[in-house]
Amino acid sequence: MKSLSSTYAILLKDAQSELRTRYAVNALFMFVVTAAVIVQLAIRSEQPSSSVLSGLFWVVVFFAAMSGLSRTFVSEEERGTSMTLQLVATSSSVYFGKLLFNIVLTLLLNLAITLLFTVVFPGFVVQTFETFLLTVVLSSIGLASASTILAAIIAKANTKGTLYPVLAFPILLPLLMTAMKATARALEGDPFGAGIEEYQILISYIMVITAGSYLLFDYVWKD
Amino acid sequence: MFGKTSTTIFKYGSVSLISVVLVAGLAIPMTVSPQSWLEFPVIPGLEEKARNLFFHVPMSWTAVLAFFFSAVYGIRYLRTKNIDFDVVSVSSAGLGLLFSILATVTGALWAKFNWGAFWNWDPRQTSIFILLLIYGAYFALRSAIDSEEKRAGLSAVYTILAGLTVPFLVFIMPRMMAGLHPGAQGDASGKGPLFEANMIAPNMRMLFYVSLIGFSLLFLWLLHLRVRAGRLEFQQKQGER
Amino acid sequence: MEEFLSANQLYIVLGVVLLIWAGIVSYLFRLDKKLTKLEKLMNKG
Repeated sequence: MKSLSSTYAILLKDAQSELRTRYAVNALFMFVVTAAVIVQLAIRSEQPSSSVLSGLFWVVVFFAAMSGLSRTFVSEEERGTSMTLQLVATSSSVYFGKLLFNIVLTLLLNLAITLLFTVVFPGFVVQTFETFLLTVVLSSIGLASASTILAAIIAKANTKGTLYPVLAFPILLPLLMTAMKATARALEGDPFGAGIEEYQILISYIMVITAGSYLLFDYVWKD
Repeated sequence: MFGKTSTTIFKYGSVSLISVVLVAGLAIPMTVSPQSWLEFPVIPGLEEKARNLFFHVPMSWTAVLAFFFSAVYGIRYLRTKNIDFDVVSVSSAGLGLLFSILATVTGALWAKFNWGAFWNWDPRQTSIFILLLIYGAYFALRSAIDSEEKRAGLSAVYTILAGLTVPFLVFIMPRMMAGLHPGAQGDASGKGPLFEANMIAPNMRMLFYVSLIGFSLLFLWLLHLRVRAGRLEFQQKQGER
Repeated sequence: MEEFLSANQLYIVLGVVLLIWAGIVSYLFRLDKKLTKLEKLMNKG
C-alpha cells in the first residue's frame, strides 16, 4: 500500500511541476502543430491513402514523444533533485510514478494529434472507432513504457536529447509497425475483430517491456 | 572465460568445419536427379544460388547468437558489477555487428538475383536492419559516456532492453506479415520456422547444420580473442593510472 | 587440367575463396599467438 501511495505522490509531483512550467506540454503541442502543418503544406490537395496517413500519424507521435518524454528524468538531473528522490522513495515507485505520468502525457499527445489530423487532413476519418481507440491506448502505453526507461538511461548518460531517438527507434519499431498496421485498418473501416493478432502483439510488447524495465530500472536509477 | 580445451575445440573445429563447408558447398555439383551423396538436387528458382544457404543463414544465426551473448553477459555484469563481463558483452556486440553486416550483404546479393532488388523491406530484412540499428545505437551510447562503470551499467541495460524486443522482430513479425523469405505468411509451406528441414535434400541439410556449428564455433573463437585483447587493454589502462 | 577448369569455372571461385579463408585463418592464429605472448608479458610484470 505504501509503495502505491508513493507512486501516486510522484505522479502528482510531476503533474504539478509540469502544470507550473508547462514545458513538456508546450513543446509537444508546438511540435505537433509544426509537423502537421509542414506535412499539409507538402501534400496540399493530394489525397493520401489510409496507410500513408497512418504512417504520418505515427511519425508525428514518435518524434513528438521523443521531444517531450525525456523531460521527466532529465529535469530531475538538471535540478539536482534525483538524489533526494532516491532517498525518499523506492526505485519501483519512482519508475511507476514516472511511467504513469508519461502514459498520461502520451495519451494527451495522441488525442491532440488525432484532433489535429482530423481537422487538417480530409482523408483522416476514423471508420472503426473501437479499433482506433484500442490501438491508440495500447500503443501509448507501450510507447510510454519503453520511453520511460530510455529517458532514465539518457538522463544518466548526460547526453541530453541527441541520443534519445537513436536509442528508442529500434526498440519501438515493433510497436510502431504494428500500430501503423492497426491504424490503417481503422481508417479503412475493417471490422473490429479483424486484427486480433495486432492487439496480442501490442499487449505482449507492453508486458515484456514494462516487466523488463521494472527489473532493470534499479540499476539505472541508483549509481 | 573459456577453458583451454574448449578454446582448442573452437579453433580447430571452426577452421575444419568451415573449410569442409566451403569445399563441399561450392564444389558439389547440382543435378536434376541426384544419384549419390555427392550430388545436390537443383531447386527450381534457386539453382546455383541455393549454395548461399550455407553461408547467409549461418551468418544471420551468428548475429542473433552474438546478440544473445551480449545480453546474457550484460545481465551478469549488472548482477556482479564485474567489469570483465562488460568486456565480454561489448566484444560480443562488436562481433554481432560484424556478422549482421555480413548477413545483410550476402542477403542483399541473394535478394538481387532471386527477388529482383537488393532491398525489398521483407520482414526479415527489416529485422536484420533493426538489429544493425540496435548495435549502432549501443555503440553510440557507449561512446557518449565517459565513466567506465556508468558506461558498462547503462549499456548493459540497453542491450537487455533491446534483447527483449528482438524476439518480436526475429520470431513473431516475420511470420505474421507477408514476405519473401520462406515461412512468411502466405508462403505455400504455411506459417512455420524460417528453415524447414524437409524443404531441402538430406545431404544439403547435413552440410547446413555443419555450417551452423562451424560458424558458431568461429564466433566463439573470435569472441575469445577479442575478450583477451579487451582484458589486456583494460589492464594496461589500469597500470597507467 | 585447363580444359576441365574452363568447363567448371566454379572451381576457380572455390580456389579463390579457399585462399582468402586460409589468409583469414592464418591471421587469426597469429593473433592468437601474439595475445598469448602479451598475456604472459603482462602477468609477469
